[in-house]
Amino acid sequence: MKKNNSFDQSPDRSKYPENGPDNKPDIDLSSGKYSKVWQGPNHPGVTGNMSLELTLCGDEIVDAKTHVGYLHRGFEKLFERRLYMQVMPTCLRMCVPESDTNEYCFAEAVEELSGIEAPEKAKWLRMLVLEMSRLQMLLRVVPGQGGAFGLGIGVQWGMYVRELVLDLFEELTGGRVYHMYMLPGGVRGDLPEGFRERAQSVMDEVFRFAERIDNVMFTNSVFKKRAIGTGYIDPSWVDQYGIVGPNARAAGYKRDIRKDHPYLRYDQLDWEVPVLENSDVFTRSRIRWMDMQVTASLIGQILEKMPEKGSFKAPTPNALNWRIPKGETYVKAEASRGEFGYYVVSDGSAYPRRIMLRGPSYTHAIALLERLLIRANIADVGAIMVSLQTCPPEIER
Amino acid sequence: MQDIVDKIRSRYDVSEVTEQRENLTFVTVEKDQVVPLLMQMRDQEGFSHFVLLTAVDWIEEGVFQLTYILNHPGKKVDLGIRAHINREHASMESAHHLWQQVATYQRELKEMFGIDFPGSPRVDEEFFLEGWDHTPPMRREFDTKKFSEQTYFPRPGSKSYDPREYMKQKLYCDDYEEEQ
Amino acid sequence: MSKLKDILTPFTAWNNLARDPVTVKDPVNDRPGSARYRGFHQNDIEKCIGCGACESICETGAIRMVPVEGVETKEGDSGLRPEVDYGRCCWCALCVDICSTGSLTMSNEYIWVDEDPEAFTFVPGIDPKPWDKEEKGWKKPEPDYELNIKERVSMPQREAEEREDSFIEIVKGYSREQAIAEADRCIDCGICQATCPAHMDIPDYIRAVREENLEEGFRIMYKTNPLPEVCGRICTHKCEDVCAMGHRGDPIAIRWLKRYIADSVSQENYQQALQQENPQDKDKRVAIIGAGPTGLSAAYYLALMGYTIKIFESQPRAGGMMRYGIPEYRLPYDALDMDIDYILSLGVDIQYNTRVGADVTLDELHENYDSVLIGTGLHAGKSTRIPGTDHKDVHQAIKLLREFSKGNEIPLARRIVIIGGGNVAMDITRTLARLQNQKYGEVHIITTSLETEDVMPADQEEIDEAREEKVTLRPGWGPQKIEIENDQIKGLHVQRCLSVFDENGRFSPKFDEEDQAFFEGDMVVEAIGQGMDISFLSKKVREGLDFTQRGRLMVNDWFQSKQEWLFMGGDIIQGPDVIHGIANGHKAARGIDMYLRGDLRYDEGRNK
Repeated sequence: MKKNNSFDQSPDRSKYPENGPDNKPDIDLSSGKYSKVWQGPNHPGVTGNMSLELTLCGDEIVDAKTHVGYLHRGFEKLFERRLYMQVMPTCLRMCVPESDTNEYCFAEAVEELSGIEAPEKAKWLRMLVLEMSRLQMLLRVVPGQGGAFGLGIGVQWGMYVRELVLDLFEELTGGRVYHMYMLPGGVRGDLPEGFRERAQSVMDEVFRFAERIDNVMFTNSVFKKRAIGTGYIDPSWVDQYGIVGPNARAAGYKRDIRKDHPYLRYDQLDWEVPVLENSDVFTRSRIRWMDMQVTASLIGQILEKMPEKGSFKAPTPNALNWRIPKGETYVKAEASRGEFGYYVVSDGSAYPRRIMLRGPSYTHAIALLERLLIRANIADVGAIMVSLQTCPPEIER
Repeated sequence: MQDIVDKIRSRYDVSEVTEQRENLTFVTVEKDQVVPLLMQMRDQEGFSHFVLLTAVDWIEEGVFQLTYILNHPGKKVDLGIRAHINREHASMESAHHLWQQVATYQRELKEMFGIDFPGSPRVDEEFFLEGWDHTPPMRREFDTKKFSEQTYFPRPGSKSYDPREYMKQKLYCDDYEEEQ
Repeated sequence: MSKLKDILTPFTAWNNLARDPVTVKDPVNDRPGSARYRGFHQNDIEKCIGCGACESICETGAIRMVPVEGVETKEGDSGLRPEVDYGRCCWCALCVDICSTGSLTMSNEYIWVDEDPEAFTFVPGIDPKPWDKEEKGWKKPEPDYELNIKERVSMPQREAEEREDSFIEIVKGYSREQAIAEADRCIDCGICQATCPAHMDIPDYIRAVREENLEEGFRIMYKTNPLPEVCGRICTHKCEDVCAMGHRGDPIAIRWLKRYIADSVSQENYQQALQQENPQDKDKRVAIIGAGPTGLSAAYYLALMGYTIKIFESQPRAGGMMRYGIPEYRLPYDALDMDIDYILSLGVDIQYNTRVGADVTLDELHENYDSVLIGTGLHAGKSTRIPGTDHKDVHQAIKLLREFSKGNEIPLARRIVIIGGGNVAMDITRTLARLQNQKYGEVHIITTSLETEDVMPADQEEIDEAREEKVTLRPGWGPQKIEIENDQIKGLHVQRCLSVFDENGRFSPKFDEEDQAFFEGDMVVEAIGQGMDISFLSKKVREGLDFTQRGRLMVNDWFQSKQEWLFMGGDIIQGPDVIHGIANGHKAARGIDMYLRGDLRYDEGRNK
């Protein structure tokens, strides 16, 4: 794919600000050449409530600052007053669209600190839920990339398939969006009868959807025109900016925690980590589209390989008096956006000393986005945000 | 992992090593050795991915624990570097020049814990909070419940009874009073 | 070509025109919530005991425990019910998962519309809702899903072989780890406290175990019970019968936790642990008759109030039934003496071998003391009065136990038949079994009771342990006649007992005369209950007292009799068991205090 508008191939630079002595653009707002525009904090798509302070020269951005704080609920502070078991229904709210990764990381961290191991069946069920969660997120964000350019049809199709996945969630976990399914010690329910068949038919629908979205989005001249070369991430930035997940994999980095640090039973599943070169909006979107199909196939494999019988929760002490031995750990998992981790510190009491969430958007939506937006067209801002899959709740926990 | 820990030990004052998992080890060093250690780990040992930086308030001991977690994408291991700083006039050397996102973490720590990182870009700018003039909220002494009770008006609802106290009133309370 | 493809392919979207719509036409009716959906709350009001575990686990503070109409507060049920505030609820259903009784569930209902915002705070099961009867919805997943440990930490005990010929204590007591693990199971509801006759602050001392603050736990226990070593071993633990955890699992081992605290404070540290100051002398004297649980408990609290106490005890040692009724393998004398010694160390005077009525009269006590408390207990064994009970080899259990405790030799045949189904019957059974083992190397005891095993008044563990000690239990038989040949007992004739009580709950056993049996034995022991001996009450005193229709002594709520200087408590009033005695003694002590301060009259203290 050819870069047509990338960072290092800018056209006429005469109207751009000169770099000042500190190597930053010297912007004199009073010169009349520039204007400031606030984008947000309302959703420009599926990117969440955050706002961007954009300095424009014409319709091109010369400076960008991310502002967050519109969603700050102080979860990490609230955990100080929560029993470990009470953290479970709270922590998942830190990432609304993909809540299960929170549940998993927290449960796993508590289990690790207290020396409890979830039963085999629970591990498979957790993996199933994590993949279903990734799937419903991708069903939203893959067509959402088209939506950011005004291509709404895929969003509607995606939402339909996503609803089918949410139906599966409702059956398995008792909730559609907040599943509250994994808790320290295991999970809260076994597979309902007939779940495998129903899930398999939803996966078939996912593959059909993938094909259709390929037709209307990735084989679409308008989409290509807008997406290719937009928001280009140089491979050298990946470590410099802490880029993870599909955003890094689209730049040629084969990094996936499921493969690199296999957790649960991912080592028993058979799949290839999708990797592409040339991380622009198109490639990142494409890699998510590939992820989506990988995930659907993983769900099929999990349902096939999952043990039929077995307990789904290990015995745990009284939830009201459960003191976790002193210690600290960092547990991470691959969310649809990349490395998602919980840093949990216990002081030996029934209340956590510190729980910190490390979300991929913390770097993607601030340091990286601020860099990517420079010299982007203001019309592409939403698309770039979608392509990074920003999620402000995990920034301001 | 052991060889890396040995290397760290040979050059830095390591007060504690915790091998939490086979792919996660924590080391505790002096605060002024953190940034050189981070740099060495990044440039010489291949810990190229900076995972997170955060603080833990050990108010009882009067210290903040700073935790930096690094990841080695090749060896697929995580290294946690811990250091303790004084809670009073809490300040730490900035590591913003090593990775682009570090400045954001440091800005957050300044706002939420009141830990200063002199020289870190935009470290004094408001991050999540707007017009906050209380204690930095993530410090343990900041009591969220008290704050919300003072700041907001609770919706009057029914009173909750403690089963034990309620049963006492209903079943066996007597009016004996000790002589004063 | 590829460019043309990029222009044409998106038009495949038009294919959808030929597809059926995927929307659900009538979602309200056609699309019910799933069988596990966490919808609106339901509560089975009859099953709920108002323990408040749901409130404790609720992380949003959406649940409040409120009194509701039609639900009465009674033992084992606080009378409170959870009220849910849907302005706060997050539908995590942890309340359902932790519910002690399993009464709280959720329906699969999605929709609730109301114009009044206050309506969304409601008491499930009390405020009628359309989904009350809905079967589908979130229920606690069974069977192996729990947010607590259902099984109690098992108590280490001596094995049957080790104990069957020895009087060494059977129960070894919890270790630190075991005690903390057991204390962790407590949900801190406090429902037990109302049922405990002494209303001990049970959740508080369990918390002290959890937090390893044992001296604090010790202080908490002494606030309501100065005999924790005793109660930690042989209390009838009525608290455990109502424990919220007992509804779906084992109740918390409250008695063993009490024992753990008591055992962990050594006797020389009592003073320091209890931090009691010397009270100001009140210059009033109280006489107590009987150094059993009631007398000792009253003496302790009265001494702390500053009264001068003198106890009159007919036996050579203090303790009453605790020493002379309960065998050493259940309650070692050292443990008993720790409790008693501390009480006596507070300056309580005790006169042994003094029987009121014989060595000193009640009238003399009345003259010399400002108030008198009677806690004499039940020491007169009852007889079945069947033919043959006047034989010399027919004995009363209570008398044998007393004599044995004093160190005297007691009659012991090779084959013994014991009549009785209560704890005293088990005590004498197991005592004689040990002696038989020591003397003959084998056990030959048949213990028979009117009650079948499911309704036998003895504790289940006593029954099980007796069996382990190779005793033959034959519950459900009524004794008819003792067979005597050549002045030698041959055995006991019994017939099948069909029921013990009539429909009004009165003692009126019914037998099946067709179903007979004969239990061989050379000696018979009766352990069917004890009566009181109040012959020391003079006619004048007796005439001034109230009696119930069934001839029991009547006292007011403070255990004050109609003779206002005279208080009575313990087995002669309530029970019989140790904890009632302790509770009565405590209450009577406060009653005596009020009486001596001049503000307690017999009529005022009734039915409050």
